[in-house]
This record gives sequence, structure tokens and C-alpha cells, in this order.
Amino acid sequence: MKLSAQYSKVNLIIAISILFIAGIVYYATINYIANDQLDSSLVDEIEEITRYVNLNQRLPKPMDFDEDQTSFTPTDQKTMPRFFFDATYHSPREKSTEAGRAISGLISLKGVNYKAVVVISKEATENLVQVITLITLVLTAILLIVLVIANRYILDGLWKPFYNILQQLKAFNISDANTLNLDETEIDEFGELNSAVLSMSSRVKNDYQNLKTFTENASHEMMTPIAVITSKLDTLIQDETLKSEQYAQINDIYAATNKLARLNQSLLLLVKIENNLVQDTAILNLKDIIIEKLHQFNELIQSKNIGVIHTLADKEITASKYLIDILINNLFNNAIRHNNPYGTIRIYLTNTQLVFQNTGDENRLNSREIFERFQKSKTSEGTGLGLTIAKNICNQYNFKLSYDFETSLHTFQIDF
Amino acid sequence: MKLLIIEDEQGLRESIERYFTEEGIICESCADLQTAINKTSLYQYDCVLLDIGLADGEGFTLLEHLKSNGKNEGVLIISARNSLDDKLKGLNLGADDYLTKPFHLAELKARVSAIFRRKAFNTNNILKYEEISINLPAREVEVNSVSIVLTRKEYDMLLYFIANKGKVISKNAIAEHLWGDEIDLIDSFDFIYTHIKNIRKKLLDAAHKDYIRSVYGVGYKFL
Repeated sequence: MKLSAQYSKVNLIIAISILFIAGIVYYATINYIANDQLDSSLVDEIEEITRYVNLNQRLPKPMDFDEDQTSFTPTDQKTMPRFFFDATYHSPREKSTEAGRAISGLISLKGVNYKAVVVISKEATENLVQVITLITLVLTAILLIVLVIANRYILDGLWKPFYNILQQLKAFNISDANTLNLDETEIDEFGELNSAVLSMSSRVKNDYQNLKTFTENASHEMMTPIAVITSKLDTLIQDETLKSEQYAQINDIYAATNKLARLNQSLLLLVKIENNLVQDTAILNLKDIIIEKLHQFNELIQSKNIGVIHTLADKEITASKYLIDILINNLFNNAIRHNNPYGTIRIYLTNTQLVFQNTGDENRLNSREIFERFQKSKTSEGTGLGLTIAKNICNQYNFKLSYDFETSLHTFQIDF
Repeated sequence: MKLLIIEDEQGLRESIERYFTEEGIICESCADLQTAINKTSLYQYDCVLLDIGLADGEGFTLLEHLKSNGKNEGVLIISARNSLDDKLKGLNLGADDYLTKPFHLAELKARVSAIFRRKAFNTNNILKYEEISINLPAREVEVNSVSIVLTRKEYDMLLYFIANKGKVISKNAIAEHLWGDEIDLIDSFDFIYTHIKNIRKKLLDAAHKDYIRSVYGVGYKFL
């Protein structure tokens, strides 16, 4: 729910409740005043009757007193306080009943006490109350409508700088050199928000820059010693007085150094991908890349007598050539390395997905752990980072890489 | 042939110097940018091996210096930074090649030879080694004036061997040269054996001489 809608809702609920309570109070007050007025005219009436009785020494006939209805009942009570109450008024002309107001009082005539009741119509005052209520309701409705419209326009106007900031934050790209371009605002809160967002973005960019520098430095610091080891080994083997056992050990050092270098490169690559540092995107034809890789891996595939079946459609993606090369390399390496001699690799490329299937181990792999760092079979010579890198590259471009095991084939599927 | 090695890591600098000097190439070396700028101002080199991350500045400065002074030394950048930006920057500033650490000395030697060949391209595009003569632009190989047919990988391997003639080249170095880091070392050793066997046989048939000698399972030597 939008803030303005929420605000309008609260506003409306409060306005309606206050107007409702005010309406009740208003109604009660008007009613009270009207009754009070009726009551005082009723007092006049009864006093007039008393004067009439004292003067004429007889009870008045009903028609003598306008349209009021007067009744007299003999009573034994010696005293009776005047008492007002609501009653029903029978209109003689319209032959209908209306709401009325009555007074009862004691009248003495020739030593006999009568209880006199005078009823007058309340219709006129009721009408007045109705008219006033109607006017109040109309005014209330107009007030609410005006309130809603005003809220909407005023709030939308007020929040405009906020939505501007929000839009820029959504479009914010950490590796982008451009700084945020925020509008000047006269409202203090938005001004503060602007400056907070600006300082945050520059801090984040600064941190990001530091990270990038760190990545490069780490690479430099670790690669140089490895380079020294490699060059020393290359120099060492020139000495042909070495014995064959020593050469065997040198071979082991070569292998370990090579693995170390690969591991380091893979880790740095992961950092690069995770920090979005590889940005050289271009439009690539995936089919061409796969065919090229098929040639490159041909020797390896043939050496294990693996049969390759492929169905490739033209598919263009926008991505970094460098990363997609690595992705396809890793998928090929994976499918070849974990395959059986005389096994099969199936590759399907359609507009929506790329599927690599290979024969191999008879058991399903753990589809959750398989993409984790350093998850590899004991016999694997790889770094244990190949599929993690593949997964990260896919994440970078919002592709979905998943593993499945169906009909004895290990299946790696990328949904574009 | 005169070579300047600019590398701040002493161990690496010495290895490179030793590997190249044995070939009869005159090698000079230094560890910092200022000495390198002084040396290139005073002397003429055929090729400069330049490390990017030096103690007193980035190697790019030297490239700019060479460019602004109209020098045409071949420059090979050796950098620990495997960064596309750096690579492009270096090549744009006039470097001839870019090699990422760690590398094998044989690979470095092959790259330097390629730079020499490119420099001398206009005058000489035939590479000769004993009975072998290679027409570089046409990628054709003749032995004793008889042409032999090599596959692409065999041809690459032959050039690599000639660049490192007389040196023991490890199988690791050959594998990295031919396949990069696309495949695992263990897998590639079998392929190297197959390629070596083929190339050896072709040369033996044509020149009646065995050029390639195996060295205790660690590598091969081209004589």
C-alpha cells in the first residue's frame, strides 16, 4: 500500500469518526434546545389553562386552545409536580399520528383536583432537525471528497522528490562511474535523505574500489611467488646430471604448483564474478562457441572414446565472452572428466535452455552440494571450483543452472 | 640480440636472465622503473620484458616513455594481474604481448622469439634451423627442401621447440602452450606423447635425424 493511500485511509477514518461523534453531539444539542423551547411553550399553555379555569370556573373545551390536545383526569393527589414527556400527537386535520411533546400538571376547580395533560406537535422542530442534519451530511460529504482529492494531489506533489531518489537508487550500479543526480528540494527531510544517499553511494563505491584493488593486489602477491617457483623448476631441469628419482619429484612439484596456480586463479575469478567485475558484455552466438569448444575438446573426447550427440539451435546471448568461454569449458571438462570410457555426452541448445548430459557414475549426485565450493569426488583432479564458477557465471546473467539425474545421465541444465 | 629484463622479484629476474643468457643473448636487468627509464634512454634494446607492478610505479609509465621518445623496442609485459583492462591498456600503449604470471620460461622464450620474428618480418619470413626451414606466413615446413605436412598442433610445437632449442622443456610447459588452462595436465600428457611421436617420426623420415630427446619423463629437449 502506498504511503499516500495509507495516509488518506487514516485521515478518512479519523475525519469520519470525528464527524460522526460531532453529528451525534450536534443532533442531541439541537434536540435538547428544541425540546426546551417546546417545554417552555407547554408551560405557557398550562398556565393559560390555569388562568382560564380560575377566570371561568370551568374546564376548557379541547378546541379552545389552538391545535393542542388537552385532557383532564380527576385525581386524588393533592400536589403534582409539572412533568414533561414525549407523547403521541394525533393530528385532527391530517388524521395521523405524529411525534409530540406533553406536559402534565395539577389544576384545581371547585375543590376537585384534575390532572391536566397538554400535547403539542413536534413536527415543526423535527423538520428543522432533519433539514439541519441533511445540510450537515452534505457538508460532511463535500468535506471528505475535498479532503481525499487534496490529499492525493498534495501528497503526490510532496513525495515527488522521494520517488525521484527511489528511482535513482533502483538504477544505481556500483561499477558505474556516474554519480547520482538528485534534484534540489526545499523540504528538509528530503534534503537530508538526498545527502545521506549521496554519501552512502560514494562510500559504497569507494569500498568497491578498495575491494577491486585488494583483488588485484592479492592476485599479484600470490602469483609472483608461484611464478618464482615455476621459473626455478624450469631452470632446475636444465641440469641433466639429476637422477631420475629427482626428476620424478620435480614432476610432482610441477603438478602441485600448477594446481596452486589454477586454484588461485579460480578463487580470484570467483571474487571477480561475485563482485561483478567482469563487464565486457557483447552479443554472442552460443552455438558457434559450443562448436568451437567441441573442436578444442575433440582430442580429449576421442581419447576416452566418448560419443558426442548434439542438437544445437542458433541462440544469441548478451554476456562476457570471457565468462561464457569459462562456463562452456567447465561444462565440457565436467562432462568429460566424470565420464566413462566409451561413454556418451549429449548437448542440446534451444532458445530457452542449454543441456549437457553425460554418462558416468551410476549414482545421483547431491544436487544441492554439487555447486558448493570444494565439493568434489575423491578421485577428481580438478580444483573443486569448476561448477561453483559455472553457477556464479549463470547467476550473473540470471540464468538458472540446475542438476538432475535422469535415465542414468547426469544432466546439467541452464535455463535462460 | 639485446634484452632488458625489468622485474622487481629477484628470484624470477635471475631465472629469466639465466635462461636467456645461455642462448648467447645479451641480457641486462633492473628492478625498478627509474633505472629502466634511464637504461632505455641510453641504450637500444631489441626487446624489453616489463613487469607492471614495480616498487616505484607502474610499468605503463615506461611504455609511455618509450612511445614519447619514438623508440621501437619490442615490449613483452609480464604481469601478475590477469586483468583484461591492463592487457588492453598495455597493448594500446604499444606493448607487443602480455603474459600472465605464473608462466614457464619456455613460454616466455617462445613469446620473445615471436616478437623478434615479427620485428624482422619484412626482411626475413623464413625461419631456419639446421635442415628445417619454416615459411612463417604460409605456415609451411620444409626439411632438406622436401615439404612435410604437420598438423596445427605439431606446427605450433615445432616452433616452440625451435625457440627453446637446447633446453629441457617440461611437459607442463608444453601442455600449457598447446592447450592453455582448458584441460587438466594429467589428461594432456598422453596427447603430448602422441604429438611428439608423430612429429619425431616426420622429421626422422625427412631429415634422417632424431631432433627430439626425452628427458627422464619430465620433458623433452630439441637438439
